Amino acid sequence: MNEALSDPILISFIGGLLVSTYLMFIKNKNTTNLLMSSLAFAGVGIISSTYTYIIHNKMVVQGTTSFCSSEGFIQCGSVIGDPQWNNLLGVPWGIFGVISFSLLIFLSLSLYLDRHAKWADDYLNYSWWASLVGLPFVALLVVIELTQVEQAPHICPFCTVAHLSLIGYVASIYYLKDNKLNSKWSEQE
Amino acid sequence: MARRRKALAPKGKDEDVRIVAGFALGSILTALMILVVIIAPPATVGPSEGELAPDFSADAYAGSNWENFKLSDTFDYEWEEGESGEWILIQFIDTDCPYCWSEGESMSNLHAEWSNDVKFITIAVELSLSGHDSNREEVESFRDQTSYGTDANDGDGCNSGRDNCMNRPGNTHNWDYIEGSSNIMKDWEVSGTPFLVVLQPDGYVAWNQGENKGETIEAAMQRVVGGSQ
Repeated sequence: MNEALSDPILISFIGGLLVSTYLMFIKNKNTTNLLMSSLAFAGVGIISSTYTYIIHNKMVVQGTTSFCSSEGFIQCGSVIGDPQWNNLLGVPWGIFGVISFSLLIFLSLSLYLDRHAKWADDYLNYSWWASLVGLPFVALLVVIELTQVEQAPHICPFCTVAHLSLIGYVASIYYLKDNKLNSKWSEQE
Repeated sequence: MARRRKALAPKGKDEDVRIVAGFALGSILTALMILVVIIAPPATVGPSEGELAPDFSADAYAGSNWENFKLSDTFDYEWEEGESGEWILIQFIDTDCPYCWSEGESMSNLHAEWSNDVKFITIAVELSLSGHDSNREEVESFRDQTSYGTDANDGDGCNSGRDNCMNRPGNTHNWDYIEGSSNIMKDWEVSGTPFLVVLQPDGYVAWNQGENKGETIEAAMQRVVGGSQ
């Protein structure tokens, strides 16, 4: 097995993704669970983005890091360590992840705390559109990993966790919108 | 008479929970940023003295063919002040810039004197000036002193097209010539050429020509690199 895949931190992140997915599908996709699922996905996303930023800083200052493998197909070294592709306009991708997932956490948490507020409809739409905006960036980053970085192709596992978190978030918001549309928003209805 | 009771629609809470959400998010972000600062604080990256040199990955020509070159691969991250190590001299040039043309000789002299302790790197960029277009062949000829262009002032060749590249002052530059880009120029804040920077073996900027107006590169090498030996 690839050394990178046996990293306990990576396994924790994968566990987080599985829990988030489980929350999405239990109890007939009720609103409370879907909101918890979206929060869990965004939580895994913000923590994994922070972790990629930590790896980025280590790579810049030390040239290497024990936090992620630099060998093989699945690795971070050639992806996060590539000075040409590890940033957008000089800002590391991890920072973009932290900012984006912060916005999604705020929207989901607000909805979770009061789903009947007068702004709830707007916030649900903001969550939907904000998360959709992130998907082309995920596609771009996967293409970069597979074709552009040093000795491509590579896949950075922690970056992939952040990408999957966003995709999971989009799915949970999709089901939430579906609940809203079909009058299943409030579980009493 | 029986009254019909209207079904109550769920109401939102009286208080604005968005403030609570904002505080919760602020706490999460604060915790994460503290974690970053403890585990891996971000380095100050830039071309100024004391900063970590901006890294780049680009194609380099070392006399035979163009191969990928990553600046940070030349860094010795374990190096500590007072230890011996290979320093790095980075020169930005434009093959059509007259000052870079004449600096060819002093670079040859510097290389003869310091090549045991210092790695020389030249980054060939293109200034946004008319007559400053260049290509790989011109860069190769500038480095190797091989024939490219004419000695007539016809825009063909090096030194704003005034000279055949083979007549560049100095000797063949036996070190890496990097294909520069606008991104590298931006990261290194290069506004004109020639421009010189000396890096410590660990990649931190020890001397920046722009910050030491009046000090020649020869004096700087003696002070910064020579003083450390």
